[in-house]
Amino acid sequence: MVISVSHLSKFYKIHKKEAGFLGSMKSLVKREYFDAKAVDDISFEIEEGELVGFIGPNGAGKTTTLKCLSGLLYPTNGHVSVLDYIPYERNYDYLKKIALVMGQKNQLWWDLPAQESFILNKEIYDIPDNIFNKTLEELSTLLDVKDVLNVQVRKLSLGQRMKCELITALIHSPKVLFLDEPTIGLDVVMQKKLRDFLKEYNKKYKSTIILTSHYMEDVKELCERVIIIDHGKILYDGKLENIVKEYAKNKFLSIDFSTTVERSKLEKLGNIKEYSETFAVIVVERTKSNKVAAKLLESFPVKDLNIEEPNIEDIIRDVFTKK
Amino acid sequence: MKKYFMIAKITWEEMFTYRINFIMWRIRWILGLLMIYFLWLSVLPKNTVFFGYNQSLMLTYILGTSLISSIVTSSKTNAVGDEINQGNLSNFLIRPINYFKYWFARDVGDKSMNIIFCVFELTILFFILHPPVFIQTNFYFLFLMFVSILIALILFFFVNFLLGLIGFWSPEVWAPRFVFYIILNFFAGSLFPLDILPKQIFSIIQFSPFTYLLFFPLKIYLGQLNIIEIYKGLLISFAWTVFFYYALRYTWKIGLKGYTAQGK
Repeated sequence: MVISVSHLSKFYKIHKKEAGFLGSMKSLVKREYFDAKAVDDISFEIEEGELVGFIGPNGAGKTTTLKCLSGLLYPTNGHVSVLDYIPYERNYDYLKKIALVMGQKNQLWWDLPAQESFILNKEIYDIPDNIFNKTLEELSTLLDVKDVLNVQVRKLSLGQRMKCELITALIHSPKVLFLDEPTIGLDVVMQKKLRDFLKEYNKKYKSTIILTSHYMEDVKELCERVIIIDHGKILYDGKLENIVKEYAKNKFLSIDFSTTVERSKLEKLGNIKEYSETFAVIVVERTKSNKVAAKLLESFPVKDLNIEEPNIEDIIRDVFTKK
Repeated sequence: MKKYFMIAKITWEEMFTYRINFIMWRIRWILGLLMIYFLWLSVLPKNTVFFGYNQSLMLTYILGTSLISSIVTSSKTNAVGDEINQGNLSNFLIRPINYFKYWFARDVGDKSMNIIFCVFELTILFFILHPPVFIQTNFYFLFLMFVSILIALILFFFVNFLLGLIGFWSPEVWAPRFVFYIILNFFAGSLFPLDILPKQIFSIIQFSPFTYLLFFPLKIYLGQLNIIEIYKGLLISFAWTVFFYYALRYTWKIGLKGYTAQGK
């Protein structure tokens, strides 16, 4: 077991402040605090080599969980263990085995070429020369940034910079990699490249990767297993494809008619999502989809009929909005 | 240890990155020095004695403080407060690196560069202007001066770092630092020699840490202190350094606890 989290909670103490100047004065004298439950009693385990995606809306507790795992935050309650270390003790041996990449924070030296930051990390992590050279060669080839390693970081494009950030974070070949919004702000092509890289990296080095993202694409393509989190609670933990079975209670029937069909007749069969004179999408319960389809074929002038699963984005949106 | 050497080295490279900036910074320093020099040269005619300082001693004092101050009070740690406040500290907490040693290594890089250029420029100025300055030839005094500067430098590092830790609690790290610099300029003796103040006041501020940042090393250089006074001063400044070391460690511990509790 690489990561084991049991009953982890993390509450932030936040003081209330009424709006305006008077509110500010009041908060000087008397402060009322309340607990914001960023993460509320979650448990999960992650095996070596797994690539797990954390998804959830803003403020769901994804980043907080990652910070607890990497040792930046100490938990309010519960137990966290990564590679048999207690993260928040920040033992140097532990830190040498992990990496945290925050899409919105950089550790590259802004005024110097990225190469310098790599060499500094080589010293910080005590990496022998030959291993450093080999890893750098591999990473810069995989990410295709060989030609910009000697360019001042501030002159790089966002995509190039993000790639260099990744190299700095991976130069010590961490066993566990935490990625917080690694593709934020990147264009579609660059996002795809980063995803391909992470996939490849995970395969090649057997490292455990945990990532958070707003983009479903990231998760869909990379992670077999997802943990859906909202309001600090885990809503779902398991294979991505099983979400559909578990949460999608409905299927979509989309039908092309050869002649005009009245809306009122279709409404008896299920909810109508889309309708035009010769086309309709009807939402029906999963279990009834076959029956309804048979009925349609029997009693309507059907030209074409498709039974479709709702897409994952829609399901997840439903899961979030229901709560 | 090698990692901290590397940090000092990178700090050097960073300073050389912007050539114009670098040259301007040196020119500003030289111009400032020349301005003070010519001002005091014309204010103090030869053969007059001003509060026990003749022209040569006074000029040495004024030029000496600006030299020592460029070594002691220039510090990269001014950025600590903002780093903590903006959450960049996280980048250090997740790497096997000591945050204090990191900044000290940066200061070593910064100060060594300062010293090298100062020595170089001062040598040139000395041969052009032939200033009537006092030259200390007693190696024992010179050695003690170096010791006192070393203590001053570490003391200032701790104090300035401590001010940066305000960043754990408030984004306004600059206001307290500004006040600190005003007090520092006065009580460290960078404007005038402190012993021209009334005796009672001087005997009190002798126990403050500021006196030992600039005034004290220069008095040793000028040979105006006897051995007992020197050792007493070294002891007091050392005691302050130890005090601020523990104050810094304690504040850091509390601040970090809040930081890892609340996150940034």
